[in-house]
Amino acid sequence: MMYNNEHFEPVITPNVTKPGCETLDFYLQNENGYKALEKTLKMKPAEVVDEVKKSNLRGRGGAGFPTGMKWSFMPANPVDEKGNPKPKYLVCNADEGEPGTFKDRLIFTKTPHRMIEGMIIGGFAIGSNKGFVYIRGEWHKEIRLMQKAIDDAYAKGFLGKNILGSGFDFDLVIYKGAGAYICGEETALLNSLEGKRGEPRLKPPFPAQVGAYGMPSCVNNVETFAAVPYIISKGWEKYAKMGPERSGGTRLICVSGHVNKPGVYELPMNLSINDIIDLAGGVKGGKLKAVIPGGASAPMLRADECHCLTDYDSLAKAGTMAGSGGLIVMNDSVNIVEATYTLLKFYEHESCGQCSQCREGSHWLARMFKRILDGGGTQDDLDYIAKICSNMAGQTICAFADAVTGPALSSVRKFRGEFEELIMRGGLKGVGRVESFSHKLEGAHV
Amino acid sequence: MSNTTHEVKKSKVDLNYSSALKPVQSDPSPEAKPLPKVTIDGKQYEFKPGDTIMQVAERYKVHEEIPRYCYHPGMPIAGTCRMCTVEVEKAPKLMTSCSTPAADGMVVHTRSEKVMKSRTGVMEFLLTNHPLDCPVCDKAGECELQDYNFEYGPAKSEFKEEKRVFEDATTKKLSEKITLNMNRCVHCERCVRFTDDVTKTNDLVMVNRGWHKELDVADERGLVNDYQGCLTDFCPVGALTMNDFRFKKRSWFLTKKPSVCDRCSKGCNIEVHSDAEVIYRYVPIYNEKVNGHWMCDEGRLSYNDFVNPTRVISPLMNYQNKLQSTSFETLIRDLKAKIKDSAKVDLVIGTDATREEASVLKDKISQVLGKNTSVYSFNGTNGVADSSQDKKLDHLLKMKDLTPNTKGLEELKISPLPSTGSEADVVIVFRNGRASIPQFKSSQKVILWGVWNLEEIKKLSTVNILGVLPGLATVEKAGSFINTDGIVQKFLPAINHKGGALSVQQVVNIMNTVN
Repeated sequence: MMYNNEHFEPVITPNVTKPGCETLDFYLQNENGYKALEKTLKMKPAEVVDEVKKSNLRGRGGAGFPTGMKWSFMPANPVDEKGNPKPKYLVCNADEGEPGTFKDRLIFTKTPHRMIEGMIIGGFAIGSNKGFVYIRGEWHKEIRLMQKAIDDAYAKGFLGKNILGSGFDFDLVIYKGAGAYICGEETALLNSLEGKRGEPRLKPPFPAQVGAYGMPSCVNNVETFAAVPYIISKGWEKYAKMGPERSGGTRLICVSGHVNKPGVYELPMNLSINDIIDLAGGVKGGKLKAVIPGGASAPMLRADECHCLTDYDSLAKAGTMAGSGGLIVMNDSVNIVEATYTLLKFYEHESCGQCSQCREGSHWLARMFKRILDGGGTQDDLDYIAKICSNMAGQTICAFADAVTGPALSSVRKFRGEFEELIMRGGLKGVGRVESFSHKLEGAHV
Repeated sequence: MSNTTHEVKKSKVDLNYSSALKPVQSDPSPEAKPLPKVTIDGKQYEFKPGDTIMQVAERYKVHEEIPRYCYHPGMPIAGTCRMCTVEVEKAPKLMTSCSTPAADGMVVHTRSEKVMKSRTGVMEFLLTNHPLDCPVCDKAGECELQDYNFEYGPAKSEFKEEKRVFEDATTKKLSEKITLNMNRCVHCERCVRFTDDVTKTNDLVMVNRGWHKELDVADERGLVNDYQGCLTDFCPVGALTMNDFRFKKRSWFLTKKPSVCDRCSKGCNIEVHSDAEVIYRYVPIYNEKVNGHWMCDEGRLSYNDFVNPTRVISPLMNYQNKLQSTSFETLIRDLKAKIKDSAKVDLVIGTDATREEASVLKDKISQVLGKNTSVYSFNGTNGVADSSQDKKLDHLLKMKDLTPNTKGLEELKISPLPSTGSEADVVIVFRNGRASIPQFKSSQKVILWGVWNLEEIKKLSTVNILGVLPGLATVEKAGSFINTDGIVQKFLPAINHKGGALSVQQVVNIMNTVN
């Protein structure tokens, strides 16, 4: 079989190519819509959490934290200092900003009710009556579609008071972000939700204790929620079996770059990166040179490392990460220094600027890469990039600094020859050394 | 710098503003649970549950201090500068000591190799975009960037890129009092948290993101809070400087002596910074019971009244209807002659007199003048007559009563001057430049005593002034005040008076000897 996995079936995307798949009627008629919710409402919340725990569903946003575990951290009956009960909030992180990732948009435009159903189930499981969908502000169309889907769900009684006569209430509200990349970090998202600057919070306290508006909150990715109805209706065993140990189910892989058929693929995690590239029609216009396996923050892999499987643990073992599932393929026409500089420019712009290392380091790295590209680089710079990265990684409040060092450090380590050649040649426009370069300059760097 | 006992060096210990400076005492009762212990750099220390690692280290003075930029004990913890990181055994990453609570059995290393490497890294990052304009920077000499760089910084930097320049904010007046130089900023955001959480005026914000993050005023109101001077106290670099002090004096020339601010009834604890007996600024000293870490701008700038060039610092005698400079002996001899035939003499003591001065005046004045003199107190600032009318003007420090010792004079049982004013033929007014000046009748003869300036005297042109006896200002003398909360605060001279004014006791002695 193509997927080399007899248990595999699409969980989220079985019908996304069919017309009208985003409507409530289609979801109810063709996809057993909201049946999992009916089943959930007859269960106990603890049983729902247990089901998700056993399914080995891990967070699809980037960090890969087990979802059931996250839900079980929510306090059962939180009270404030005066003993009054505190509300709990469920937040959907739809601030999809990782370069190379476009899976949440697919869910929003093609199967929004699957995510809404997942959120209601999640709200029931953690005992929350209010959910927020934090959407990045640039998604005008997606916001409109999601609002329509929520309105339809309210009209049919899937949202609101006394859902399906069970006595459980759940409200869902859309909140538009302003488009900062860092607001995809869960505590920065909560700050932004509260109307503050989108800057990650110091942890502890974790959101499960002090989250949105100071109340216990749980933040999950869109894809995570969209997988929940399947787990409830088909059972955890079926879902867990699809993937290797400790990472159950399927993943949406966003293949982009130099492939013949770029797009979102729902795949089991026992495929290697090479398999995925083959599924996506193979490398376009040249030989495979490098792959970024999990969105821009994941360290690059060389072509000879691409036999690695795409589950969380195998990628971690290969020194990179599964991240958000954005697989960026680069063929041999790509200049790695320039490609990395493009990413670093992004990070330089998107650092929130709280922590010293990240604010100054991301700027420094980007400027340094620019200087190398412009012909002002020295061999010492390459050693110094490693030093800057070691002073940044793991030293800051959130993982942004690690995300910056991912591409910077891996590109220097794995493609050092290319850097050295560029330095000797005197930059992209340099004439120091005659060497044929297939890559043409088209004003990509400014 | 002299080494007198009362000198408070603005040392690291003074900057140690942890919530309670007293060491934790273990409960003597046997059934009490033993206090938890944390090991810092190989030694065990007891701590109160809830203390952070930094608080424990500060209380026991482990090393000199843990370096910090964003942490300030008077504000919420941000944990963003990453300078105070320490190594905690079993923790995978370095932890920020300002935010990590100490735990029983925790083993902490504050100066391990890993920690020092991280601090060097932070210093290198902070210095990449810092202009290094120390020779023209007012903060030089008391700059945390300089101090920590000396201790932790890298010997050289590989930064070859162009430095970030905020062209519009290199010299930007945020208000009449504060000038911003954004190029020097290390983005600790103490200032933003101060206006958010201490003054609650929210007038400073960071705009933009990442490396072009820039401090600015929030809206068209501008920087409006009444505690702007504090911004320059805790700004670790020379980004926020006080216009009043800008380019006046290099900080290492300043002599620093403690005193008490006499601008209102709060009595904030201050440090007087002077050189050659000229005051250059006041800065607050931490006092948990009185002012915490802060002081208001009126108080901070009130030293200007004492260095006012029109302040009377030599005795003035009314000679041919003009006030003319003379000696104390001549003046007092003249005054005694002029009041000899008066029916009634009143002494009005401003509530800005110290307790010691008021007590000397109350006990001795009748005897040394040779006349039966009634003694009254007078306040009159903001319409306050006695301490019961005093009230807080905001949630922090500012008080309605603008004199420092209203309660002290009440303790001495000196009754306030009746609202109708003095009925005597001769009124002696003693004040130190803070209490208001009472109303005089045209028939009255008036003797002015204490801290006066010529503007005040000019306003009394219709009054028959017999003479002016110059006195010492609060920072020039020793004494004590009782503040609005009933706290007695004693102080010693912070500077020596260089003019011709004398203390109350000296003037009384002259009155006693001259006939």
